[in-house]
Amino acid sequence: MNSAHNDELMDLTAAYALGALPPQDAAIVRDHLRTCAECRAEYDALRPAVDALAQSAQACRTGENGPHASDLIKARVMRTVRQEAAPGSTSRPRPMLWPAYVVAAASVVLAIGTAVANSILSSNLHQAQSQIALLSGELQVANRNAAVQRQMVADLMSKDAQRFAFSDGEVVRRGDRMYIAMHAMHPPPKGHVYQAWTEENGAKTMAPSVTFMPDRTGVAVISLPVNASAIQYVAVSVEPEGGSKQPTTKPEFVVKTG
Amino acid sequence: MDDASALMARVRKRDAAAFEEIYDAYHRLVYGVALRMLDDVSAAEDVTQAVFLKVWSSPEGFTSGNFGAWIGRVARNRALDIIRSRAARPTSELPEAMPAEDALEDVAFANLDAEKVRRALARLPAEQRDLIELGFFGGITHEELARRTSTPLGTVKTRIRSGLHRLRSELNGVVTI
Ligand SMILES: [Zn+2]
Repeated sequence: MNSAHNDELMDLTAAYALGALPPQDAAIVRDHLRTCAECRAEYDALRPAVDALAQSAQACRTGENGPHASDLIKARVMRTVRQEAAPGSTSRPRPMLWPAYVVAAASVVLAIGTAVANSILSSNLHQAQSQIALLSGELQVANRNAAVQRQMVADLMSKDAQRFAFSDGEVVRRGDRMYIAMHAMHPPPKGHVYQAWTEENGAKTMAPSVTFMPDRTGVAVISLPVNASAIQYVAVSVEPEGGSKQPTTKPEFVVKTG
Repeated sequence: MDDASALMARVRKRDAAAFEEIYDAYHRLVYGVALRMLDDVSAAEDVTQAVFLKVWSSPEGFTSGNFGAWIGRVARNRALDIIRSRAARPTSELPEAMPAEDALEDVAFANLDAEKVRRALARLPAEQRDLIELGFFGGITHEELARRTSTPLGTVKTRIRSGLHRLRSELNGVVTI
């Protein structure tokens, strides 16, 4: 449209700069800006003020759902980035393993429930689905999981959590929640998985808990479906897929937690 | 070339460390814009994640210029998508996205912090400030602005225009180039 210049178009240009015009009006202004130097100058003058408006919204920090929500978002993003990064460009050296655990926690499929057969198949599928959903701009990322993950990251990073170290990891307990964070894990033999074991106070044998796999960097972070205060030992062993009723291999570690 | 432009040149070469610096410097801006527009923490977090994954997957969207202005627009447009998907109204009654590439020339206010802008905004007459903020963060059209504030459409448009001019000159006062 070749609209002649008038005051109304000048006002419309301001609303256009603010991003407050519906498509039809926006198209009129865009066409007009191509031919009218006066309105173009007006647009160029106002646009920086509009872009400055965005800066006024800058938050003190991301995430208000918990102390570490922003770590969780960053961990999720950086996980994708590191996987796709040029070799050797992957970030400043990390003095601690905790960032790696947080990264793993951000995408770990939570081992909730008592079922031993939380198959790794479904966990990978879920992970793949959420990544695809994200990349295609679908924003309904499993919010419920996100809330649990936030709790998990907060627990893992917490200064007041109790930590029980073993050679390649830690059992972390905070309140009645308990996690195992491991690194430098080898992939189990074909047809096998890792399985966690927990022993309640006063019990004589270990009870089977969740099965899991390390991620491709050898890190695993799992949430144990137990009341942490009632647990005296935690262990992990390699077991056939589907898990076992009692350990069939020598545990990778056994940690006393109570 | 400023810091962000140099970092983005490295991001285009798949440099994760450069990307992390960009993330650290700008995630509060992206999150802040999204939270202000959507008033929903989870949705704002999703926008933050999606915007930065987009920066990583399509870094060529930013060429050079004012990175903060550019990513601010990308964030607003993404939040606008969500507002659109929630709205019961037809798209023709919702505002069109702002072209992100138009922000690249806006180097005049490249080094603003939030506090300076808030101070400049505070010096605007309330009737101008309210319309500008609601127009930008509310994701609504000038006609909807007129309805919500019970102000004639013509008045809304002139107030937006004078308000933006005023904001620009207030910012000139606080910015040293
Ligand atoms: Zn004109």
